[in-house]
Amino acid sequence: MTRLSKYTNILLIFQATYPSLRVKIKASIGVSREKDCTQAAKEAINQAKANMPYKKFDLAFVFASIDLCYPSLLKTITAELEHVPLIGASGAAVITNLGILRHGVAVLLLNLPEKIFFNIGCVRDINTKTPLSAGEELGAKLLYGLKNVSRDLGVVFSDGLIKDNHALMRGLQEKLGASFPLVGASASDNLRFLKTCVFFNQEMLSDAAAGILWGGKLNFGLGTRHGWKPLGKPRMVTKSYNNAVYTIDGLPAAKVYEEYLGRDFNELKKELKHITTLYPIGIFLFEEEYLLRNIVAIEEDGVLVFQGDVPQGSQIRLMIATKESCLLATRQALAETNVKVKHPDFLLVFNSISRYILLGRDASKELQIIKNSIPADTPFVGVYTYGEQAPLKAINYQGKVYFHDQTITILSIGE
Amino acid sequence: MFATEFLLYLACILGGGISVFIVMWSWKLERLNQAHAEIKTLRRSLDEMDEQAKLIVRTDMELNRTQEELDKKISGLYALHNLSQAVSTTLEEKQIFNMVDSAYLQDLGFQKACAFLWQTNEEKFVLKMQIEYFPDEIEKIKKAIELDKTFYLELIKHNRGISSIYREENTQAIEKIKHAFGCRIFVISCIMPKEGEKGFLFVGTEDTDTAITEGDQELITILANQIGQALENARLFEKTWLAHQELEQKVKERTRELTVALEELKIASKRKTDFVSSVSHELRTPLTSIKGYASILLAEKLGQLPPEVKERLEKINRHSDELTHMINDLLDIAHIESGKIIMKRQSLELKSIIEKILDLFSLQLKEKQISVRLNIADLAQNIFADTSQIERVFINLVGNAIKFTPPQGEITITTKKLDDQAQVDIADSGCGIPEEEQGHIFEEFYRVDNAINQQVKGSGLGLSLVKQIVQAHGGKIWFKSKESQGTTLSFTLPRPSQ
Repeated sequence: MTRLSKYTNILLIFQATYPSLRVKIKASIGVSREKDCTQAAKEAINQAKANMPYKKFDLAFVFASIDLCYPSLLKTITAELEHVPLIGASGAAVITNLGILRHGVAVLLLNLPEKIFFNIGCVRDINTKTPLSAGEELGAKLLYGLKNVSRDLGVVFSDGLIKDNHALMRGLQEKLGASFPLVGASASDNLRFLKTCVFFNQEMLSDAAAGILWGGKLNFGLGTRHGWKPLGKPRMVTKSYNNAVYTIDGLPAAKVYEEYLGRDFNELKKELKHITTLYPIGIFLFEEEYLLRNIVAIEEDGVLVFQGDVPQGSQIRLMIATKESCLLATRQALAETNVKVKHPDFLLVFNSISRYILLGRDASKELQIIKNSIPADTPFVGVYTYGEQAPLKAINYQGKVYFHDQTITILSIGE
Repeated sequence: MFATEFLLYLACILGGGISVFIVMWSWKLERLNQAHAEIKTLRRSLDEMDEQAKLIVRTDMELNRTQEELDKKISGLYALHNLSQAVSTTLEEKQIFNMVDSAYLQDLGFQKACAFLWQTNEEKFVLKMQIEYFPDEIEKIKKAIELDKTFYLELIKHNRGISSIYREENTQAIEKIKHAFGCRIFVISCIMPKEGEKGFLFVGTEDTDTAITEGDQELITILANQIGQALENARLFEKTWLAHQELEQKVKERTRELTVALEELKIASKRKTDFVSSVSHELRTPLTSIKGYASILLAEKLGQLPPEVKERLEKINRHSDELTHMINDLLDIAHIESGKIIMKRQSLELKSIIEKILDLFSLQLKEKQISVRLNIADLAQNIFADTSQIERVFINLVGNAIKFTPPQGEITITTKKLDDQAQVDIADSGCGIPEEEQGHIFEEFYRVDNAINQQVKGSGLGLSLVKQIVQAHGGKIWFKSKESQGTTLSFTLPRPSQ
């Protein structure tokens, strides 16, 4: 647990009396597009340090494209930061207020006021330990470092190639509480699905997850939206187990996609990456809320394997989106964050790689929408992910965190 | 609802009205049929909507695919434009290949790339660039290329590309390349600089979802051509640079040789000056004695002389004077060359010097009826020089002009102001200097071969002395001459600083 000062109470009373004089989180960002990872790390960290008005840094978020993910990247950054805790992930591209970096690194440095506490932790060998027990281990580690302080929020980065990310979340919830607000991002690579990394201090880890637990008086706003709309008639999952769907409306699950797309089984398999990006299934939750699921594999017997659980008996629809609906979702997610945070100090943005593919050259428009909705020079960083974790809004889900696909998840921290 | 119906039924039964029951029952049946029909309609509508949804999805899919293709093309063109710019501004061969990176490659729609150039002396293909390959993969590719080098050399020979786009005649080759480079989709284009090593560029992707078109092949061909052009430029630059370096080296060597020669020349010149100086000194003493004794004898202090003897003695006396004059000139030249004479510089009025010299020569001018024209610019009136030395310059030059100007001829003396110097031109209307002799007139003891020189005696030291004096003042001397049209001798002298 970091910093507990004897002056904390006096400070809080002072801040309550004069809210406009509250101590803010100071955030600065540095980016680099250098090809050499050591050079890139140096440039980004030096830029971030130069942009920070204070010499004291409490925490660093680092996001990098997979081509820069070599050990020297983090070693160079941590050497510059000495003992400052560091956490982050690799991505197909890095999102920053200074632009989208398909090849580059971004460093966000934070100087935190005394009332905010955090603890970081990581878990390795998830597949060996099973995602559920790994989630529990990570939860316990995060809690251990943050005793006697009210907990506000957890942010988790996990290897995007872990088969059951949802189980990892369940494990975390076992320790942190079923409705405890958690936000997460599944690290990604350059769509080759070969290796993704999470960053924990100077370690670059695969088959691992790293998290941060915030406590004290952290004020945050969270918005998660996808922009996909239901199409066609509702269908019922008649047989499923975890993330494998065997039958829909009594027919082999793949039949639904064959019918809608007018492709035979082999064509469907061949075009899987394209199909899953554009046409996921949506599990009906409440009113207009649908939980999206991407297909990760099509088995020979027509079984569809999704990137997240699909409960048996769920009512599902085929989902479709346009660039406009995607961008509208971004505006809606930002509006959600604005409810609780009027003056953000910084933002974390976890955006689905599917949206990046769908938006194509218009991805920069999405970035502009974010920039337009926050005060100028407010830094934000994030990555394009292979999945996002955020609470569901539906009342009957009681804010429980779920694994999402195709969403943009925006976490705004400030006053 | 059910309660009301039940009460009606009960009323009917109780009332014994079978007919009422039948009416009610048929009414109920009718309502049920209506509901069934509505459900059927709704289901049909839903099915129709679902069919429409299928059409929408299929159309959307096609649209997205087209959009994706278009995006890919635009990104590819942007990448090609930027890459071409970067490559064409590079003049180092190694740097040209470094310019191609994975970011550009992705924009062009490929994941992996490598480039090889054929080294004639080693008789093998040498790797120049690789992107996204692991070292063991590259070793495998090198071996495969070595095995099939004749195939790749044939491609280069005919500047022929090859891609994974199916063509019946290439099936076997395509499969081999796919296997060798580990990419199912690929394009190979030749790198063809006009001179030097040629080679090929390979780009490919493992992603089977990616479809390549003739357009992609065209883009890679343009890129390979750009690389070829850049290589050509780099080699040309290197060649020019090397030639420049070689030339610089040669200039340095020649300069060194010339410096050595100059030093040797200076030493020789000094030796000559020293020799002339000492010989002249040695000659002066006996000459003085000869002249002294000749003068005594001529004065007939030792007795009267017969006229023949007197005539001979007068000749001895005259020749002694000429020899003394020559020795004095030689000594002056030697002293100026060795820097022993210190120029006592002061501000002088050119006009008065010229007038003084003309006054000296007034008798000769009058005898030959030579007219003198003076063009003295006001601004060039003053010079900064040693009076006696400058007078010697004018005496020599005006004397020469008078000597070579025929009777009733003309001499023009002009002065001009240059930046910080004054220029004096002394032009005569004499016989001029033959072209073949013009290069020698400032040499010591050189006398132009003409009728006047044959008649009039001279040492051939005058112009040499003039040149030494002018140069010792920091000035320059030159002339323009045309046979039988006259000669203009010009020289510059410094003006006093303001």
